[in-house]
Amino acid sequence: MSEALSYFTMAWFDLGLLGLTALGTFAGIYIGAIPGLSVTMAVSILVSFTFGWEVNQALALIVGIYIGGVYGGSRSAILLNIPGAPSSVATAFDGYPLAKRGEAGRAIGLSTVMSVIGGLIGVLVLASAAPIIGNLALKFAPRDYFLIAGIGLLLVGSLAQGSLAKGIFAAALGAIIGMVGMDPVTAEGRFTLGNINLMGGIHYVVVMIGLFGVAEALGMLHNMGVAPVKQKVDKIIPSFAMVMKFLPLSIRTSLMGTIIGVLPGVGGDIAALMAYDHAKRSVKKPTRPFGEGAYEGLVAPETANSSAVGGAYVPMLTLGMPGDAVTAVIIGALVIHGLNPGPMLMVENPHIFWFTVGNLALANIFLLVFGLMGIKLFAKLVEIPKAMLIPLILVLCTVGTYSINSSMMEVFWMLGFGIAGYFLKTFGFQMGPIILGVILGPLMDTSYRQAMSSVGDDPLAFLASLFTNPLSLILTTGLVLILLSNTPLMGLIKKRRAAVA
Amino acid sequence: MPKQRRLVGELAFAVLMLALSLVIGYLAYQISGFSSINSAGAFPLGVSLIMLLSALWFVIEAIARQPAEATGLAALRQFCREHFPPQVLGFLGLAVAYLVGMNWLSFYPSTALFLIASMVYLRKGGVLIAAAVTVLTILLVYLLFTLVFSVYLP
Amino acid sequence: MIKKILAGITLGAAAAGLVLPAHAEYPQRNIQAVVPWGAGGATDIVMRSLIPHVEKELGGKFIINNRTGGTGVIGSNYVLTQRPDGHTVLLAAENAQLYPLLGLAEFDYGDFHTINIIGQNAAVIAAPADSPYNSMAELLAAAKDKPSTLRMGVTGAGGLPGSVHAMIEAVDDLKVREVTFAGDGPGITAMLGGHLDFMPLSLIAAKEMITSGKLKGLAVVSAEENPALPGVAPITDALPEMKKFLPWGPFWGVWVRQDTPDEAKQKLSEAFAKAVAKDEFQSFLTKMGALPLNLSGDEAKQYLDRWQSVTTWSLYEAGATQTSPEGLGIPKP
Repeated sequence: MSEALSYFTMAWFDLGLLGLTALGTFAGIYIGAIPGLSVTMAVSILVSFTFGWEVNQALALIVGIYIGGVYGGSRSAILLNIPGAPSSVATAFDGYPLAKRGEAGRAIGLSTVMSVIGGLIGVLVLASAAPIIGNLALKFAPRDYFLIAGIGLLLVGSLAQGSLAKGIFAAALGAIIGMVGMDPVTAEGRFTLGNINLMGGIHYVVVMIGLFGVAEALGMLHNMGVAPVKQKVDKIIPSFAMVMKFLPLSIRTSLMGTIIGVLPGVGGDIAALMAYDHAKRSVKKPTRPFGEGAYEGLVAPETANSSAVGGAYVPMLTLGMPGDAVTAVIIGALVIHGLNPGPMLMVENPHIFWFTVGNLALANIFLLVFGLMGIKLFAKLVEIPKAMLIPLILVLCTVGTYSINSSMMEVFWMLGFGIAGYFLKTFGFQMGPIILGVILGPLMDTSYRQAMSSVGDDPLAFLASLFTNPLSLILTTGLVLILLSNTPLMGLIKKRRAAVA
Repeated sequence: MPKQRRLVGELAFAVLMLALSLVIGYLAYQISGFSSINSAGAFPLGVSLIMLLSALWFVIEAIARQPAEATGLAALRQFCREHFPPQVLGFLGLAVAYLVGMNWLSFYPSTALFLIASMVYLRKGGVLIAAAVTVLTILLVYLLFTLVFSVYLP
Repeated sequence: MIKKILAGITLGAAAAGLVLPAHAEYPQRNIQAVVPWGAGGATDIVMRSLIPHVEKELGGKFIINNRTGGTGVIGSNYVLTQRPDGHTVLLAAENAQLYPLLGLAEFDYGDFHTINIIGQNAAVIAAPADSPYNSMAELLAAAKDKPSTLRMGVTGAGGLPGSVHAMIEAVDDLKVREVTFAGDGPGITAMLGGHLDFMPLSLIAAKEMITSGKLKGLAVVSAEENPALPGVAPITDALPEMKKFLPWGPFWGVWVRQDTPDEAKQKLSEAFAKAVAKDEFQSFLTKMGALPLNLSGDEAKQYLDRWQSVTTWSLYEAGATQTSPEGLGIPKP
């Protein structure tokens, strides 16, 4: 026990490790804030950069960047409606309206505090229940991933403001966009129109930058006359009362985020979207309507995407299996430093586990410090005259897109999505459902194929499997309930109850 | 929900989306036809069906609403005025020129030109500030992308 | 006055932008290393362990990009379509040699320039720890008893599991349900959860799991025991006819486009050769049960040709494909 404690605090009392964690967190925040620069890319570079270092030092820096980066995406999401990373897509839904109201500073402050809360809860779960949760995560069969993807797609009901039909259409369109390219199982081309360039598919970050960033800039072009809203820079740090008020929600969404992060292959982006939906369903009287600057709409995704980090570490440390792309790179780092990530890691090298836990906790504290610094300056960014902001946004999006795959073609795709996104928005189609479709569509398709193959391509057996396994039964029930609640049926039932009461 | 008027071009756009879903359905069918419930085309077919149904739904919704203020040629003109005012067209032109020009001129010069040109164009003046902001931006991009991340810019 | 200064700075910056790239030598920027398999799998682990050594030798930075799909076709094709300036390399496994045969793509490694063949590994048939089968023979019997019910993990047509399965089918009967995953890693995760009954895996990916008892090794695909997996029987015990295919194994290598400039090819070859030869990496490979090869040039070509000829003809004779290798110009082994 005392050994564990000493490993836990290793990063806290060693000046070098302390400094590295701080540096990593600080850098991570700004890397995450720039669309197109991904944490995965940064960590990959770091792995080779820290090749000759001691394991602990390398890990400290990497952990910092990870934690900072996941949070950083919320900055540009709130200020410019351009998610810095897919995990911040949901943050833009209420974060950007808040900025438009002049409350950008408060939004950033709230999202910082919430990210830290989420991150710490994720670490707590990791520290206390890693092996148990790791084994639980293994129980998820392909059919369960199919169900989770399905539940995620039903979020469309929450995200579609106005016409549900348009929301469904948008999500379906997104799913098709996500499936463009080579089929993972048979290598046939899908929707590629015989064009070799399309065989690699359309990267979802390109879609995201186009739909959110470029479309937004084009929209701004039409409102040049509207002066930028003066930002209120008082009360940036949320009051204790405010934090307490959102505590029940934030705890729930943090736990959600951790569990989703534990599932290999599913990460912070899906966690944030599902948390947002949960908030929409469970908070009956939000501070403002969702989508117009509700604080709850900021609390949920920010806690979830940060707690997913702790979750992603669970399979990595207990089994040597990555929980997401970043932990996959970290596994590589461990291998390079002579460690053997795998089931034996916690037995042969328990210090790595406790050190990581302590490091993650420390990084979250630095996040609080650095995240709250300089908010006033950032909030003022929104006040830049549109004539200058719009070209800058375009350049930022271009560089960001190009840095993904060094492909000029993808930059043109980005522009195309931007223009399409502008028209889609004008005519009532929301961007959120589209991105949802792009992220979840392929997951649902692959899981469906795996599940079908597992039961020998028998549709009846497939359906039966959704009900006969306890985990699947729970998920299926959830799916059906959410499906029903989206239809007018629920509305009717509610109205009747209200009439009677 | 109170019945709103359609926006100019809304019905046309809705029908366009309906047509798109038909095209996508056809492409999905081309993948593997109706061969198997577990083929590469099965899920896409299902999704395109959903697209089709939802498109039908909102086309009907749109038809049921009151027509937009202008119709026919006047509608087309208003649409262009609303969505393609000269400023927007000008900026889009600059943007396309920028992206295409990047391959010839390489990143930094073309970005610099674009930033100055578009800022001056949109603000109708203020070359000084435009130039200053441009230099600052270029510096930041250089620092972050080229030095730290070694991203190759064209 | 100020205007002139600003104009001067801007022009200066622009000029610098034009001039800078012209003077650098290879590599002028980050090299994109495409791994067409999922993170956590065998290829990924080998490459991530090797690349830092290469970076030291070359003096450049690599960014590893996992582009999965289509048994490596997506990633490999991506490299073929990038600019031939030496800044995109393919870090992959043996699969491309089967693409033309299986109709997955029209290219194979003959269409690339081989920088290095790193090493070769053995395949092992693994099953969950609580599986009712303790040997290959038991597995075969169960499959015959209830054909097409056992779930076997595969990584797509042309992947290692597919090839091993084909070789087994050529000499015996093993009708199964094939469930496709994005690589060894996801397949192992599924097996741990009991969602698969068995899966042929690359030894490197499975070793930790087997030695720690999380997975069971039913057989190793070779004629004798592999020192990295003591106690796991050779597959020839249950299927003596497999001997004619052995020795056989997945291999890893580094490729670039054929029209890559010679400077890049040469520097890459040197860097990789030195890196693979490093003691640290060699012992890593052998600890994992793999055989370091470090081939380049003609030796590499011979190795690739032999592997292709052995495997394609085995698959054809096993009835796994209708296309004859002869039609593709592949000589019999």
